[in-house]
Amino acid sequence: MAFNPLEHRGIPLDDQLRDWSELDVAPIDPDKADPYTRCRIITMNGIEVEAVMFSHHFNRICPDLEVKQQLARVRYIEQQQQKVVNWLLPGQASVLETTIAYEQVAVDLTGWVARMEPDPYLKQAYEFGVLEDFDHLYRYANLYEMIEHRKAEKIVDQLTEITPGRPTYLHHRDPVDNVREPYDRRTAEPISKLHALTIMSAEQQTMNFYMNVGPLYMEPIARQLYQEIGLVEEEHVTHYESLVDPGETWWERLVNHEYNECYLYYSFMQTESDPRVKGIWELHLNMELEHLRLACDLMRRHDGRDPESVLAPALPEPVTFEPNKELVRHLLATQLDLTTLGTGYVREAHERFEKMQNKINAQRDAGERVIDEHREMFGQEYRLETDGPNPVERLREKTA
Amino acid sequence: MSSTSIDVPSTDDVVGLLRAQHGQIRDLFDLVMGSSGPERRESFTHLVRLLAVHETAEEEIVHPVARRKLPGGQGMIDDRLAEEREAKELLAELDGMDPEDPQFLPKLDKLRVAVLSHARAEERYEFDRLGDQFSDAQRKGLAAAVRAAEAAAPTHPHPGTESATKNMLVGPAAAIADRVRDIIRNPDKH
Repeated sequence: MAFNPLEHRGIPLDDQLRDWSELDVAPIDPDKADPYTRCRIITMNGIEVEAVMFSHHFNRICPDLEVKQQLARVRYIEQQQQKVVNWLLPGQASVLETTIAYEQVAVDLTGWVARMEPDPYLKQAYEFGVLEDFDHLYRYANLYEMIEHRKAEKIVDQLTEITPGRPTYLHHRDPVDNVREPYDRRTAEPISKLHALTIMSAEQQTMNFYMNVGPLYMEPIARQLYQEIGLVEEEHVTHYESLVDPGETWWERLVNHEYNECYLYYSFMQTESDPRVKGIWELHLNMELEHLRLACDLMRRHDGRDPESVLAPALPEPVTFEPNKELVRHLLATQLDLTTLGTGYVREAHERFEKMQNKINAQRDAGERVIDEHREMFGQEYRLETDGPNPVERLREKTA
Repeated sequence: MSSTSIDVPSTDDVVGLLRAQHGQIRDLFDLVMGSSGPERRESFTHLVRLLAVHETAEEEIVHPVARRKLPGGQGMIDDRLAEEREAKELLAELDGMDPEDPQFLPKLDKLRVAVLSHARAEERYEFDRLGDQFSDAQRKGLAAAVRAAEAAAPTHPHPGTESATKNMLVGPAAAIADRVRDIIRNPDKH
């Protein structure tokens, strides 16, 4: 049953404002919620944050008062949506637990997108990134057991494995090599545009989160690990945002943003296991349909183009949170050694990469030290290998 | 690789040890909820005893220092003690209840959320701010006292030994608390 958001009417904008009691949502259970419900919440928060910030940037360059006023009205509603979505997270969860959930999102959302992406160059970008987020999950999981004396499988359940990926110290590339080529807005599949926006938004939220929560820790190793991985997130945001064609007009970008929000709320409504949370996805979808209609009107008026000319005729298959163990194991076995050179990928450590590495890794990085310290404390690393040992021989745990 | 360990690793720092016990308590709730029959009864007894040791240790060691030294400590500790009282009332309701009673799990769930919220509040507003209020030697000595108290109040009871007595929980829990208090206050006697 194909769903075309352009053919559905949502809730009129005048009826979308919620009062305090409606914003005051009950959070999910910190221990018993479906891990993928938490992943959907984190994803939608990233999407709403991008919606809000995109609209602010648009406001800053837009000279038309009427348009600015309409952007402000819609943006206020997007802010309310962000509040409802992110406030589903429970206060009892620690920052580190939420961090581990962020990395589970990065692995299983990027994993899904990598599998579904039709364009080989874009697919490669997701496959490249997923091996790095996968390694971050492993580093944070070891930190979690050191600080909170609890195992990360309590958070990710058995859905996502925890074992080394491309080692974090090798993620630090010369910034020049983080810029990718964009897709061509005239020839790219609509799904490719949605994928790029989605992963860019998720990584951007992760970057912002680490930037702000890292210094809340007192433990030196925790502060240092957030700093290191926070810098990798800067690389990832550069990597993914440069996939988006900069030739899109602001009107087209606005339409793509609103369309993507419809796509994700629709997807999560289809796949949500928690009926109460599903109700929120459905309500927000009905709000977004109206935001999309308004954006489409702006595009027709100011761009002189039909939004149908840039959008898909119906929503693609719903974005689904599900295990990506097979994909990740395959990528570990085949793409571990990749790094970037210019806008492409190579297997050998080239001069610019080595120069950056020598400089930034002059001393052993926090990502390596967190594992050293965990071994010292517990006699072994923390791993969750549900489907057998790490497929890469040298990434297997050295037993004493 | 993915087994759940509820053994707390040794730590020489009393605040680290109490933090580790929070993780252990949370895992024990999972264990009680995920088991049935004698196994549930056994892990519940383990949980009640650990809670008794843990809360008493906090009341004796950490709360008094926080009350005296931290800005706003007075009011903050009053808040924590109010939460502890609420948890103890919930625990009293569970006392003597058959773990297979249909009311047991819903009540236990209420206790779980109350205890977890309480523990997080302690970590954020109290433990994180205690910083240099204890010397290294104090941290070490107090950790040893808490471990001694835990050992004296076995948290791994042998299955079956107590299942015959119904009203077994709060009675022994109170006795454990007395014992722990005694060990912490007079470490040299033990």
